[in-house]
Amino acid sequence: MIQINNLRKAYGKKIVLTIDDLTINEGELVGIVGNNGAGKTTMLSLILDLIEPSRGTVKSKDQFVSKVETWKSYTGSYLNEGFLIPFLTPLEFLEFIGKLHGLNSSDVKNFLSENAAFYAEDSTSKKYIRELSAGNKNKVGILAAMLSSPEILVLDEPFSNLDPSSQSWLKAKLKKMNDDGVTIIISSHDLKHVTDVCSRILLIENGLIVKDKNTNAETLDELENYFNVR
Amino acid sequence: MIELLIHQWKEKIRSPFWQKSIWLNIILGILGAYLMLNVLVIGYFADVILSKIFIDTDVVESFLKILFYYLAFELIFRFFAQQIPTLAIQPYLTLPVPKSKLLHYPLIKSISSFINVLALLLILPFFVKVICTTYPPSFCFAFIITVISLIAINNFLNFSLKKYFSKRPLLIIFLLAIVGLVIYLDVNKVISFSSIFAAGLLSIAKTPILVMIPVTLAILSYSIVYNLLKRNAYIEDLQISQRNNTASLTFLSHYGEIGNLMRTEIKMILRNKRPKSLLYISVMFFAYGFIFYQDKNINNYMILIFMGFFFTSIFAIQYGQFSFSWESTFFDSYIANKIAPFNYIKSKYLLFAFTSLISFIVTLPYALISAKIGFINAAMLLYNIGISSVVLLYICTFNTSRIDLGRSQFMNYQGTGMTHFLSVLPIAGFPIIVYWLFNYFGEPVYGIVALGFLGLMAIIFNKFLIQIVVRQFVKRRYKMALGFRQI
Repeated sequence: MIQINNLRKAYGKKIVLTIDDLTINEGELVGIVGNNGAGKTTMLSLILDLIEPSRGTVKSKDQFVSKVETWKSYTGSYLNEGFLIPFLTPLEFLEFIGKLHGLNSSDVKNFLSENAAFYAEDSTSKKYIRELSAGNKNKVGILAAMLSSPEILVLDEPFSNLDPSSQSWLKAKLKKMNDDGVTIIISSHDLKHVTDVCSRILLIENGLIVKDKNTNAETLDELENYFNVR
Repeated sequence: MIELLIHQWKEKIRSPFWQKSIWLNIILGILGAYLMLNVLVIGYFADVILSKIFIDTDVVESFLKILFYYLAFELIFRFFAQQIPTLAIQPYLTLPVPKSKLLHYPLIKSISSFINVLALLLILPFFVKVICTTYPPSFCFAFIITVISLIAINNFLNFSLKKYFSKRPLLIIFLLAIVGLVIYLDVNKVISFSSIFAAGLLSIAKTPILVMIPVTLAILSYSIVYNLLKRNAYIEDLQISQRNNTASLTFLSHYGEIGNLMRTEIKMILRNKRPKSLLYISVMFFAYGFIFYQDKNINNYMILIFMGFFFTSIFAIQYGQFSFSWESTFFDSYIANKIAPFNYIKSKYLLFAFTSLISFIVTLPYALISAKIGFINAAMLLYNIGISSVVLLYICTFNTSRIDLGRSQFMNYQGTGMTHFLSVLPIAGFPIIVYWLFNYFGEPVYGIVALGFLGLMAIIFNKFLIQIVVRQFVKRRYKMALGFRQI
């Protein structure tokens, strides 16, 4: 469970995010939507203790994320390519992350072959991550986040740069993981994907959560109306 | 920790620059080894050298006095040249790697920096040859621990100073003034800081328990910088530390496309580590006048011409030789956008002229030593603006190496190719040849006038000369862009 209390992030006088009270329960699949600059990535970064809150707290399993680092052992995350190590090959990168979670090389290779439909790692390829296409970088980052079978998964715009079949694979995978009890938080601009997979939607506008509701048959229409995309 | 070390090693050997410039790396390696050998030899023969220079002073005391200056200058040098060996920590922040480890790692790794190795190479031979053979083991132990602690203090103190002064750049001048004052007072024997330092160090060595003082200070300097880093170990701090406030330079917008391009380039210089550190280094070079403009050189026109050339182009040439490469990361957008090639080149030409003029003005006080300096520097200013700038820009159209703007200039040869070594030769050599020819016919002063005149003519006909560069640029731009895209 993730609990956010009285959280605020400001840069100087500009307040970019304010969340008075928010709880994300275990096993929820939460989608965050909002316009560019609304505060989606800021919210995810605060959950992952990547940025320092101006005030307030984030707790994961009743522990303050900024004080105790145990959340890192059960949380998988991928925000953008800045979280990849560019001079490693994808396999080396995944093996490195696997090692941090107590997985050996064959575990990682098994994981890759299980998910080969999403990203087919060519073991003979000496390509470094920096040389991959944007889509493949995204895939490597997502797989790295999933590698340790995390209890909490945080992904920022996971569908961006992915081809349609990979998007479809990812949706099924997220649903499957969620069915297995993983708490998932994703942000996305793709309203269709978000409403397809998420059980709860948070709509952020100008740094405030303006809508927080469970997904139902009308959610997509409501969101499309809100964003005026019809 | 070992894994992080492996990552850093891989980052180095897998960098495109390392792989592409293997010969340059070998040459740099040989130069580094040569430098270390020199320092080692100086350290070994320090007792002989010092006993000849300071005849009446004990050699250990002389060595310690020199060590005082060495450490003072080393700290300044570190401040401008030594970077915290940061690991790009962002990818590790969400992984189960404790933040503390990510912060201890670069600090511990900094101990192996080249500057520390040089200091040890200088001190250890003297220590083994003189101290160990003269003093009891307890003295030797306390002596070497104290000296190593002092080097460590410099190492860590530098990082704290960097963090502190990066937000207060004007205070750097204050810091330099204090160091200058200390040295001035010492040299003029008003307060002999070096003697106090030597006496202090000898006292510690004679009473080994006092070694706790420098060791504690070293630990303290480590913990200060560690806590500073810890407070800044968030992504936003990593990003903000790379951001600086710079003037908006809006006045340049009034000069059309050329002004706009100049404005962007100046912002690029001021907002990125590598060009900015080049700027700092160039400013430091202005102090060379105190070494070269001495009575014995004042009638040596060859030296004066060289210094005139050097002073009026120090930043312009150093920066200018990487022209176009500086923009390698966004060069494609320059090609894709509607920017007239003539304006693009002209903006660089004007920037060259502008920085040369600033350099000339800053170094003008040297003319108080002799009016000749002012006269020669003015001639070289015209030469540099008129001729050096255009020749350099022409040669730079052969630049195809990408440059990472975020890295420090010090010991960074990314983007350097044979073009850069060759480009400066004709530009710097031409004035010497012209002067030599006139001198040969007994009219050295006319040689200087001729250089100024040539420069002036080139300035008057700059449009024609720039067009030559433009034609070359248009011909080469796709090859340049291709090279710049190679990460």
